[in-house]
Amino acid sequence: MTKEELLQQVCGLADGMTIQEQSNQPTVNVPVEKWLSIAKTLKSDQRFQFDMLSDQAAIDWPQENQIELVYQFYSTSLGHNLMVCVRVSRQNPIAPSLYQLWPISEWQEREIFDLFGVRYSDHPDLRRLFLEDDWKGYPLLKDYKDDFMLERPW
Amino acid sequence: MGLITDQMPPMIEAFPGGPAFLTSLDSIINWARSSSLWPLTFGTSCCAIEVMMAAGAAHHDLARFGAEVARPSPRQADLLVLAGTIVKRMEPRLRTLYDQMAEPKYVIATGACAISGGPFIYNSYSTVRGAHEIIPVDVYVPGCPPRPEAFFYGLLTLQKMIREGETIRKPNERRKPVLANLPPGLTLEQLRKEMIQNLESHSVTKFSDKPTGGF
Ligand code: SF4
Repeated sequence: MTKEELLQQVCGLADGMTIQEQSNQPTVNVPVEKWLSIAKTLKSDQRFQFDMLSDQAAIDWPQENQIELVYQFYSTSLGHNLMVCVRVSRQNPIAPSLYQLWPISEWQEREIFDLFGVRYSDHPDLRRLFLEDDWKGYPLLKDYKDDFMLERPW
Repeated sequence: MGLITDQMPPMIEAFPGGPAFLTSLDSIINWARSSSLWPLTFGTSCCAIEVMMAAGAAHHDLARFGAEVARPSPRQADLLVLAGTIVKRMEPRLRTLYDQMAEPKYVIATGACAISGGPFIYNSYSTVRGAHEIIPVDVYVPGCPPRPEAFFYGLLTLQKMIREGETIRKPNERRKPVLANLPPGLTLEQLRKEMIQNLESHSVTKFSDKPTGGF
């Protein structure tokens, strides 16, 4: 399947999905309400067979008041990959957990929760991963400040 | 060393020629210490790779200066090469490692991160701003990361410091921390010459004038 065909087929799964153009690999934007069902299809559908979740990340966009969750998928049987971007609101960042589909995402989601404060529904064990349990705030948010941090003077 | 430093000076100084004997003993002890530095394998980020290039790779051959026996246990090491970023969670571990090392112990801090926090000094929630906040440092090697030559220059500086440093009469007395900055305009040739000179003046075997392998 070529890159264009893959994008066409993935976008045909549901309404509201768009192709992200500025990207060097096939990338789609998925609305958060539809994300869990689409993820299930991506894993089980014969055309896609994305059996590997290679990376999971987050980006803070304060101007747009959104946090973007980025997923990298790879299919070991078909050899193609796909990037998925899901945007959640900054005030109330809630996203579905992919733990049931790709168990690796348990710790990836704990890390994102730790550093960005994204809450994953149905996550089995959503605790902080790197920082102390009593840490206040989420340090990778762009407006994070604490007493230890030195402000850049310019 | 306690026996030597506490009891020997008063015992020996009573004899005629005792102070001179102590001085030559000092130079022997310091020579031995400076030529057999055993580094602790401790690296936290990118600088550690650079130090591995200097310490582990055959091209640079740290064995010439007696510092190639990297020990994984702090109890067998006497040189802590602090290579890399130190974060707050590493701080107590680093302190413990340093405390576990036997006296006399020396610390070389390499890279901008270990000097001041380096690229992460501003807007970082976790980076410790400089190794001196945790442990005393003897030699700083600047760079991000320092080249292997710069690391060697730091090691030579430390050896020089040890030879001129502590004596039996004044244990634990050290020079102030040194910034082992490669002097501007220093060429590789000069550095090589200095290393050869250093090797010749402090070793028992003879070296040929020219280095056989690469630098
Ligand atoms: S000084 Fe530079 S190379 Fe060294 S650990 Fe820091 S960032 Fe990495």
